[in-house]
Amino acid sequence: MTAHGTHVRVADIAKHYEGTEGPIRALEDVSFGVSEGEFVCLVGPSGCGKTTLFRIIAGLESATAGDVFLNDERVDSPTPDMGVVFQEYHLFPWRTVRGNVAFGLEKSDVAGEKRGERVDRLIELVGLEGFGDSYPKELSGGMKQRVAIARALAVDPDLLLMDEPFGAVDAQTREMLQTELLDIWRETKKTVLFVTHDVEEAVKLADRIVVMAKEPGRVREVVDVDMSRPRVRSDAEFGRYYERVLGLIRGERAV
Amino acid sequence: MATKTDVDEAFDGYVEGSLGAIDPRRAVLGTAGIAGFLALWWAVSLTQPAFVLPSPAAVGETFYAEAASGEMATAIGQSVRHWIPGAAIGTGLGVAAGVGLAWSSLADDVSAPIVRTLRPVPPLALIGFAIAWFGINHAGAAFIIAVGAFWINFYAAYGGVEGVSEDLLDVARSLGIEGDFELLRSVVVPAASPEILTGIRTGIGRCWMLVVASEIFGVPGIGRRILRASNNLQVDVVIAYILVLSLLFLLVDVSFRAVQRRLLAWR
Repeated sequence: MTAHGTHVRVADIAKHYEGTEGPIRALEDVSFGVSEGEFVCLVGPSGCGKTTLFRIIAGLESATAGDVFLNDERVDSPTPDMGVVFQEYHLFPWRTVRGNVAFGLEKSDVAGEKRGERVDRLIELVGLEGFGDSYPKELSGGMKQRVAIARALAVDPDLLLMDEPFGAVDAQTREMLQTELLDIWRETKKTVLFVTHDVEEAVKLADRIVVMAKEPGRVREVVDVDMSRPRVRSDAEFGRYYERVLGLIRGERAV
Repeated sequence: MATKTDVDEAFDGYVEGSLGAIDPRRAVLGTAGIAGFLALWWAVSLTQPAFVLPSPAAVGETFYAEAASGEMATAIGQSVRHWIPGAAIGTGLGVAAGVGLAWSSLADDVSAPIVRTLRPVPPLALIGFAIAWFGINHAGAAFIIAVGAFWINFYAAYGGVEGVSEDLLDVARSLGIEGDFELLRSVVVPAASPEILTGIRTGIGRCWMLVVASEIFGVPGIGRRILRASNNLQVDVVIAYILVLSLLFLLVDVSFRAVQRRLLAWR
């Protein structure tokens, strides 16, 4: 595990808004890196600009200052090199599961037959065999998010970028999806950058945790989680990491 | 995303109630309603001369006579010859303009004053243009019908596209979809299709109403037949052809509804 990756580089990102009561510094001097194949969680209190940072990294929003690099290339607009997964799934409701997963492949040069195989493989990877012809309205929240993950993986991105992807499902489904995501991560060897406000989730998943603080949104500390998987929350070590990260977030609140 | 309007809900209830899975209670009540209406009509017609209100039986006879003589088929054939091109062109241009202006803020800003000026013009006020540009023929009548269809479809498509979630566009962009045309094709139009289809359906109905208006200036068809019969105080003929219009509307509406249901199976 490398301490500071260069696969993804977030360099001195700042985001300022004009608020009703003067300028708002949503993000200030945010810098960190992610190595290839690494699983990094971005965690922080609400209002620390996590989602804004996510949108800037994804190229969906521009920063006031600073740059995002993926493989040393500056990101200034959405790119299929990043697979983006949102909390609210955002599936295309008029397309079946298969149609959703295939969406990003239709513009690519992947030939028809290979495309179909690839789509089937991804549907299998996320455990949705037999649901290929279902429409999103027929699926549960957890299933929808699996489709969204398969859709993001379809274009074979270098980075899987996820914004609170399991925030809208119930607790049991969330745990199942976390385990599945780790399996997928191991299988595909993708780099994952995962935004969450859930400390437990971050400790369970991440190789490293970027802890953010608010007002202005900034990186408070980067915590290496040196613990073997699967991680169980009843482990003493799990508890220590949990307390430490929580402390970093709480410490901020007391200031 | 797709929000159903009250009108849409009302339409759904109406068609599903009358033709979907037929609810026996509603079928009985509906039949009773028709019977009651006919009885009332018949009772009133007894006290009135035929040129004020003919009896239902008299209208039935006229309907049959018009159908048997071939007059009715001729009138329908003539009306359809401007209804179809009028509805098709008006719908096509209306949807295209609505999608285009809702998507491009530049085009929207440029066209807003023109749109607002032209919008309140009733299709009938354009009869002079219809005659001057196309003449007293099917093309002229089709023009009037097209204008009516245009605005309904324009606003339906415009509203539909405005309501397309920015998030879906973000997802599409992150999956490598670039350029206006590709985004319109793969996200915007499918996402707005419920509103667009409701607009088309409403527009088609409105076109039937405009058939009468579009024939005021002498183009032959159902509307012409109604107007001529009115002038001759043949109220039975007027009612018979009003029935023809209602039946045609119902036929087209039910068919389109079936298409719509199939296209929106994902909803």
